[in-house]
Amino acid sequence: MTKIAIAEPSSMLRIGLEQLLRELPDAEVVFSTDNLNALYARISALRPDILIVNPLLFDYAKRATLRAEFDQLPNLRLVGLVTAYIESQHQRQFAGIIELNDDFQRIKSTLNQVCNTLQTDNEDPDTAPLSDREKDVLICLSKGLKNNEIADQLNISVHTVITHRKNIVRKTGIKSVAALTVYAILNNLIEEKDII
Amino acid sequence: MSNLSDFSSQLSPKMKMADAINQYHSLLTVLPRLGIPLGFGEKSIGQLCAEHRVSEPLFMLISRVYCQDDYFPTANELQQCPMADILQYLVSSHKDYLENKLPHIEHHLNILLEPMDKKYSTLISNFYAEFRKEMEKHFQYEEEVIFPYLRQILSEQEATESATYQKNTFHQQHDDIEDTLNDLSNLLLKYIPAEVSPAERVDMLLDMYALSNDIAKHAMMENRILVPYIQLLESKRHD
Repeated sequence: MTKIAIAEPSSMLRIGLEQLLRELPDAEVVFSTDNLNALYARISALRPDILIVNPLLFDYAKRATLRAEFDQLPNLRLVGLVTAYIESQHQRQFAGIIELNDDFQRIKSTLNQVCNTLQTDNEDPDTAPLSDREKDVLICLSKGLKNNEIADQLNISVHTVITHRKNIVRKTGIKSVAALTVYAILNNLIEEKDII
Repeated sequence: MSNLSDFSSQLSPKMKMADAINQYHSLLTVLPRLGIPLGFGEKSIGQLCAEHRVSEPLFMLISRVYCQDDYFPTANELQQCPMADILQYLVSSHKDYLENKLPHIEHHLNILLEPMDKKYSTLISNFYAEFRKEMEKHFQYEEEVIFPYLRQILSEQEATESATYQKNTFHQQHDDIEDTLNDLSNLLLKYIPAEVSPAERVDMLLDMYALSNDIAKHAMMENRILVPYIQLLESKRHD
């Protein structure tokens, strides 16, 4: 089941869209709001897979970095609900775009495409244990190494280190390095004397 | 969603206090902080507020934050609440966390860690001690920097530059406290071997979830009430 959240200032549009999406067999609208603050307040708890959002909800200055607003949810896919002219570089932040005069068929295919990218990303489910490489990264983290130092030591790119870190947090549910260190010791990945 | 809004229309000063609490248990932690004792029989929220000299708009404001996840007060609702009362509530919440909630959790934690290998148990109790320090530091910052600044604006004195709070730091600190609490619950839930103090662990986790929920509400009070209030007052001053 794909979880969808909607943030759109016009209630007419929002309710209309909700109605349409209800006809999708494997999707569910878990949250819908006209208000950014309410969205921020609920989104991390609800963890939708897709957020359909009107970029006009954001101040012009923020629109260019809209994706960064949801950094803490790396698996969230953004779909732009475009009701007015939006600059193309702003549009590029979205995994898909729904326009005002799209018919239902078109909306469905946009959402399907976005869903497909979801599945390929989720090959390694939450329930998988940490991979050997993730354990290596975790050990380095516990020793107090920074991303670039870990990259050097393991001979991988900083980008890959960051991906491993995201996966570690996703699987363990633990965010802070201090708590991850406790995890590493409890699981006998490192000895206490290895920590500085 | 619709249940919540139905409830908020019912939640009024006329509602029986007992009904409100039976429906929303988390309100139970709010009462002692406002000085409303239990054993109130059939009295309504309004009657009890009057009896214990608690501002009724304040009680309603706090209850809505506790019962409605997406509640944002209107400017009007904010202005009905004396700021001094809000601050007093926040300070007594801090006190409640430090004097009651945390010691309670610590008590469980000590029993829980007792049978464990020293090298693991020290690690966890150190992590907990760090968390506690972080929390104390945050409360202290609020009580020594932010709240005095607010009282200054209220009394319409010139606020000193150094006292200016940083909205972003404020938010960040709340997130950090919740994250750390969450990390600790996950460690205890998932990674301590099954045979270690099973019953004590369940008790401790239940307490931690309750605390985590309460702190999230506390953060909402500050992020959604205090911060807009400061902005409201600041904008008035600049007019």
